[in-house]
Amino acid sequence: MSSFAVKNVNQIFGTGTAKVHVLHDVNFEAESGTLSLIMGPSGSGKTTLLTIVGGLLTPTSGTVTVNGVDYNHQSKRQRDALRLDEIGFVLQQYHLLPYLTVADQFTLVDKVKPKGNLSRAQLDEVLQALGIQGLLHKYPGELSSGQQQRVAIARALYPNPTIILADEPTAALDSPRVKVVGELFKNLATEHNKAVVIVTHDSRLMAFADQLYEIRDGVLSKQELNRN
Amino acid sequence: MFLALKEIKKEKFRSWLIIIMIVLISYLIFILTSLAIGLARENTDAINSWGVEKITLSSTANVDMRQSFLTKKQAGTLTKNEAYLGETPVVAEAKGHKQQSAFFVGLKANQFIAKNIKLDSGHWVKHSHEVVADDSFKLKGYQLGDKFKLADDKTKFTIVGFTKNAKLNVTPVLYGQLGTWQALRGIAMGPITSVVASKNSQHKATQSGTKTYTRQQIINKLPGYQAQILTFVLMISFLMIISLIIIAVFLYILTMQKLPNYAVLRAQGIPSRVLVSATISQSLILVASGLVIGTILTVITGSVIPAQVPMAFDIPMLAAVGLGILIMALVGSLIPVRTVLKVDPVSVIGG
Repeated sequence: MSSFAVKNVNQIFGTGTAKVHVLHDVNFEAESGTLSLIMGPSGSGKTTLLTIVGGLLTPTSGTVTVNGVDYNHQSKRQRDALRLDEIGFVLQQYHLLPYLTVADQFTLVDKVKPKGNLSRAQLDEVLQALGIQGLLHKYPGELSSGQQQRVAIARALYPNPTIILADEPTAALDSPRVKVVGELFKNLATEHNKAVVIVTHDSRLMAFADQLYEIRDGVLSKQELNRN
Repeated sequence: MFLALKEIKKEKFRSWLIIIMIVLISYLIFILTSLAIGLARENTDAINSWGVEKITLSSTANVDMRQSFLTKKQAGTLTKNEAYLGETPVVAEAKGHKQQSAFFVGLKANQFIAKNIKLDSGHWVKHSHEVVADDSFKLKGYQLGDKFKLADDKTKFTIVGFTKNAKLNVTPVLYGQLGTWQALRGIAMGPITSVVASKNSQHKATQSGTKTYTRQQIINKLPGYQAQILTFVLMISFLMIISLIIIAVFLYILTMQKLPNYAVLRAQGIPSRVLVSATISQSLILVASGLVIGTILTVITGSVIPAQVPMAFDIPMLAAVGLGILIMALVGSLIPVRTVLKVDPVSVIGG
């Protein structure tokens, strides 16, 4: 069963001479248990696609369904709830709340969503895999950019979402950490049956992908995976 | 609340800066309010202690008891609810003391006003040259039995009692006999009193040449009273508005700095109400902390301030002012709340 599906999505910004057609009839499905990689140059429309899939932007035309629920029939509040319950965002700029310790970043989720989050043991497992188990009492300002990125990944995984959308999650990481993060995302897809979609420039992640898409000038096309 | 407390804990310096601003503002407002109440009381304490509701004066006295003279006919027939009261400004003069301005208030011992006056020490006047003085005479070094001259009267007056809160128009009152008032005024015949005061709120004089006023009307016409009160009300109001602006500006800056973080939280599905509640809670916690410290400073000030300073700490009034500051904080925090509600999660995705 597919976790989400994007059908005939077009996105147009502006009108008249300022009109920009960012996405052209995009069709895309991400199934549970798979890791999809969307690659493309800057300005190709991959971030716009991510915001549409995340329910943050309503497309000019087309439909997006998440676990069978059509965004077009959801209020803003319902979309918020859907994002909180079903979608984990890992963003390029990780923006952890600077006045919350790493532990408090998870407590905040508990305050808003008391049920359905990772158990203590599961969280420990994620923290260990990311190598940040000793940083629970540190503030983001006390962490390196790589450590912050790994905390942001753990924070996105904590609500136990069924879909994980990641925007350049390895931008600040060195190769050994890219491997760890790639394996973690792959593990989330295969072992925990999540649909993982990563928008990236980082070809090092191709080794972990099940599907590869390329987006150019707003046109999405499936590519053959070449792991060499 | 969780986010607000965590931010205050982490950003101690910034939080203390805001709290200190609120402490200074609330302290200033509390002290000014206490001064305003103190001064208002020093204008009205004596009148309030008499237990009168209506006061009948000469219609030509411009609502000023000192300028009023009523003849026996104008005063009319008194019931047990009415009393004569003669008022005149005097200057007390005694060796070893500075001259002291005062109001001499002549009363009849068997009428209700004299009976309402509670003595701190001594006894009520029995002879024409005896007075019961306001406590402030004690602060000037006078004691029971001390004598002083009043006006041109050759015979000295003796203090036979002290009473608290006997001030009229910020001037101490000397209570004596009504006949003494006539003597000090040089009245041999004609007027028998300045006013007829009544504890009956329905009392209304019908004699020609007289007019009846409420106690508040008399108070409002006390020289300088309205100007003082209005000045304080204006100062306190401006400080309230300043506190609103300071809180709003501080919170606005703090919120603007956090917008990218809030946008990420919104992208992650954290409801706006959590962020709005954090902003409002932060404002209320900071202002409430400032108010508590401001109150402690005010209490300390009240305990060390000299008795001559006319400050009165009216708890219900100060609580109302504190509540006013808290409401201003709430209003101030609503300005950044608008920005929080408008935060666009899309703005933080991509780069």
